[in-house]
Amino acid sequence: MSKVSTLEDEVAQLIVETLNLEIDPSEIEPEAPLFREGLGLDSIDALELALALSKRYGFQLRSDDKNNRQIFSSLRALSNHVEANRVKNS
Amino acid sequence: MDTLPFLKGFELTDIVAWRGKQSVDCRRFLGDVARLAERMPDRAHVFNLCDNRYRFLVGFAAALVRGQVNLLPPSQAPQLLQNIARRYSDVYALVDNDNRPADIDVLRYPENSKPELTSPPVPCFSSAQVAAVTFTSGSTGEPKANVKTWVSLVTGADMARTRFLSALPSRAAIVGTVPPQHMYGLETTILLPMQAGLAVHDGRPFYPEDVRIALEQVPAPRILITTPLHIRACVTERTALPEVEFMVSATAPLSHDLAQQAEDMFSTRVLEIYGCTEAGSIASRRTIEGEWWRTYDGMSLYHQNNRCFVQGPQLSEAVELGDLIQLRNACEFSLHGRTTDLINIAGKRASLNDLNHKLNEIEGVRDGVFFMPDEIPGKVTRLMAFVVAPTLTVQEILGELRQYIDSAFLPRPLYRVDSLPRTETGKLPRAQLRHLAARLETSGDKAESA
Repeated sequence: MSKVSTLEDEVAQLIVETLNLEIDPSEIEPEAPLFREGLGLDSIDALELALALSKRYGFQLRSDDKNNRQIFSSLRALSNHVEANRVKNS
Repeated sequence: MDTLPFLKGFELTDIVAWRGKQSVDCRRFLGDVARLAERMPDRAHVFNLCDNRYRFLVGFAAALVRGQVNLLPPSQAPQLLQNIARRYSDVYALVDNDNRPADIDVLRYPENSKPELTSPPVPCFSSAQVAAVTFTSGSTGEPKANVKTWVSLVTGADMARTRFLSALPSRAAIVGTVPPQHMYGLETTILLPMQAGLAVHDGRPFYPEDVRIALEQVPAPRILITTPLHIRACVTERTALPEVEFMVSATAPLSHDLAQQAEDMFSTRVLEIYGCTEAGSIASRRTIEGEWWRTYDGMSLYHQNNRCFVQGPQLSEAVELGDLIQLRNACEFSLHGRTTDLINIAGKRASLNDLNHKLNEIEGVRDGVFFMPDEIPGKVTRLMAFVVAPTLTVQEILGELRQYIDSAFLPRPLYRVDSLPRTETGKLPRAQLRHLAARLETSGDKAESA
């Protein structure tokens, strides 16, 4: 359990750094939506984030992945996807 | 009355589109158009909201067959659609996703599993028929309608074909990362292929890996229609793209360095189109060859009272351009930034006056202004905003704004301040705002902005 939350912190940090958000990573609610409501991210951010995830964790996002909407639905969902797909340990 | 065909350069067995790896020939396409046209309700206007490019294409043609106008909104934001729908009271929406615009009748794109054996003839449309209306943000808060007649779209496609395709050895396939509802995407991924005998891929790849897969699904020669954002993403990822004859970029300036990297990495040519929603594509250049753009044959630019206009055979009147332009002659020019009111974020355009208007209409906002920081090359520059609103939180203000403006223009950050640095005449000089931004950024006062 603690390992999951560590990765969550790491991904939160990555989101804030990559997108220049004016918040502290700890302020991102794990279950809150990242796009539109919640953090209010958009498709430009999605592309930026995909590049950062690929660089850090070594896997590629695909938009025809049926779970794409699910993957970006919250910090927790994104962290779970990273956990399941990462090929690099940062 | 003269009419112009929807397709040029196709035999019945030629490929019109690629649905993934599956080809769609001309016969099948014409059958799909006829069948959809029969199902369309008897209305004058249709929001063509299809995400899939093939369905958009079939919908576009079917609407013309029925004499209906394709309304092409810049996004599917509910408020925007309703705002436009108020002006076209009979409008319905052709959709292929789960979005259900409220209070607007919907026709779901019917997938046709049984192609017919006979095919209807290629439809022809009157030159003057209104084919589409695209929308841009005006400075008053209302989206501004840009009417496109069939002849204006066909003429634009002919000019693009002359510019880009004359040296191609054989029928190419086009893959686009831009939406067909956008004027650039409409011209390059719908009209150009249909008027020049090319096939178009039905997807809209987004991530670098999507782009690679879509390109691999079509045979060479391939053309990629895209934006600086996607090119940068593919270069950053060193995506192993298959052979691409050339890439076309538009919607935002592409840097010389990025174009050079892309040309080297993908062994391709990177071409850029300059245009605007009102006039469509105007000029092109190969980015690595320098700053000079060359207008499409038949189009020219001129200055009048410090404003720059473009004229051409497809334009019923000259169109003013929102950029600062230096002319070498009527057909060659260079770009030197936007005029102040118009901003462009990753290809989405807005008027600062319009955004300010919407910000100040929020109940509880006493004063507020958007500010576009100076651009940093290679990064997407975002707007910021300064707002005087003692009773509202930042989240409340953003929540209100989100209902009316595209998320690309949401301020990042939004600072709450006690007052704006207005001059005695009420103006907000850019230098003052830049100063205020610098002060707030360095003060590290995140509580105010979060």
